[in-house]
Amino acid sequence: MVPVLILMTLIVFMIFYFAPGDPVSRIAGPNVTQEVYDNIMQKHGLDQPFVVQYFKFAKSVVKGDLGISILQDRPVVEMIRERLPVTLQIGLLGFLITFIIAIPAGVIAAVKKNTVVDYLCMSGSLLGIAIPTFWFGMLLLYVFAYKLRWFPISGDGTIKQLVLPAFAIGLTNAAITARMVRSSMLEVLKQDYVRTAKSKGLYEKTVVYSHALKNAMIPIISLMGLRLGWIIGGSVALEIIFSIPGIGRLMVDSILARDYPVVQGAMIVLTSSIIFANILADILYSVVDPRIRYS
Amino acid sequence: MLEEYRSKNVEVYSDKEWLEADATEERVPEKKTAFTDFTKKLFRHKGAIVGAVIIFLFIFSAIFAPLLTPYDYDVPDISSVLEAPSGTHLFGTDEFGRDILTRIVYGSRISLEVAFIAVFFSLILGTVLGAIAGYYGGVVDYIITSITDIAWSFPTTLLAIAFIAALGTGVQNVIIAIALASWSGYCRVVRGQFLSLKQREFIEAARVLGMSDARIIFGHILPNALTPVVVMATLELPKAIVIEASLSFLGLGAQPPVPSWGVILDSGKGLLDMAPWVSFFPGLMIMIVVLGFNLFGDALQDVIDPNSQ
Repeated sequence: MVPVLILMTLIVFMIFYFAPGDPVSRIAGPNVTQEVYDNIMQKHGLDQPFVVQYFKFAKSVVKGDLGISILQDRPVVEMIRERLPVTLQIGLLGFLITFIIAIPAGVIAAVKKNTVVDYLCMSGSLLGIAIPTFWFGMLLLYVFAYKLRWFPISGDGTIKQLVLPAFAIGLTNAAITARMVRSSMLEVLKQDYVRTAKSKGLYEKTVVYSHALKNAMIPIISLMGLRLGWIIGGSVALEIIFSIPGIGRLMVDSILARDYPVVQGAMIVLTSSIIFANILADILYSVVDPRIRYS
Repeated sequence: MLEEYRSKNVEVYSDKEWLEADATEERVPEKKTAFTDFTKKLFRHKGAIVGAVIIFLFIFSAIFAPLLTPYDYDVPDISSVLEAPSGTHLFGTDEFGRDILTRIVYGSRISLEVAFIAVFFSLILGTVLGAIAGYYGGVVDYIITSITDIAWSFPTTLLAIAFIAALGTGVQNVIIAIALASWSGYCRVVRGQFLSLKQREFIEAARVLGMSDARIIFGHILPNALTPVVVMATLELPKAIVIEASLSFLGLGAQPPVPSWGVILDSGKGLLDMAPWVSFFPGLMIMIVVLGFNLFGDALQDVIDPNSQ
């Protein structure tokens, strides 16, 4: 995990270090006197060599200091702390919806392979994969907020504001996940032990749900870790559509305002949460499947 | 042994046939039938046909955009602001009175350009890195694989946003950002192919003959490793289209008045209540085009490797 985090901070740092344009004019604008210019160079340590600058950056990241926003002149950590909870709430809710829909749909499609049910599930999944998440969010917003008025049009701070974005993210992610559950399940249903279980006279349901599903879930768990990253990535546009002040919106606004410390901070927080999710999935993976051991 | 191979439809030559096959004329028809067999299978696949038709229409409308519509994509017309879809404006008009259908047709040029160029460069980048990692192994492999794994575990959209943050907005930067954000898949696939192919006898033979590494990599292993890469590229194209649209929608990609589908969607965001058609049709187009590429890519995979699901 540590090398991954080091590499990640290095990449985030490099992206901004090598970005075209003068870092000082990014901070203070293009027209500054030589004196102000030198001051800024020194204050932010921009006159130091690359390695020194990176180590300074990495050291403060480890300490939990993500720098100070150029625009708002407040610690970036503070700004992120305000914005992170709502993004996490949408992400987790969307994650739940994804698997509540995807697992039953994928299992049923696999068990009833080549029947109408299977075709329906797979056509739905094909459509769901093709729908851009943010456009789907706009459709939901139009139907359920503007027309039916069941949900608020923009973020109102209540739990209700989370429902539509979470569904937008959950349904589109469920589409691709259901497909993977189906193929994983089909793989397992072909195995000898499933045939053995069937031939010794067990009920079809017992075989499917207690023998096959357990084994089919193993690859799905590592998939969950990856999906969580995509859910976070997808929530950026949704926060803009639903006017929810999350971390994705903060990042986009800061990019447009060229507030680089905030962009870097948001990137670090988002990427570390994705790495963390992947590690969690790996651990879960080895718990569920004792054949896998990490040395 | 021979019979077994024959029954499995594997090309087998007897000694005599081998000698004949040495004359190049003899081998050409063999290749041709393999290719026609492939196209036949592909065009018996329903998904492939639907996908191919959608892709064809998409490329056709991008190329012939000016001939397909009587309107201009960036000339405002105050006499027809925010008109609902009708006979004169099939998809309605936007807040400047511009025809949405026209803007979508011109927008397909941007989607097409971004998708093909970005996928081309990410394919080259990923393939070269994967080839180097797989062929040389050792420390080089370790370093490339670690970076690839990290890039792979991050959502492409988020990575592309990071690159845009550094590079700035604009269509050209979107192409660079998507290319830099989506090479990891190719790298993994090509590396895997190289790992298995470099153990094969014909590569051993090439090495014994004293060929240079570059010649072995690009002349002998790579051609045999390209099939999965091509399939992957077909499935990466729609992803690139969606990422371009999302970036432009966020204001990080193409800038108005460029008629990128994402830009049109962005302008429709604030008009959702008044004029839902402004954002409805470009999104629908993205969905149809993505569906077309996915159907075609899946069919390609089915035909090339029927065992994969």
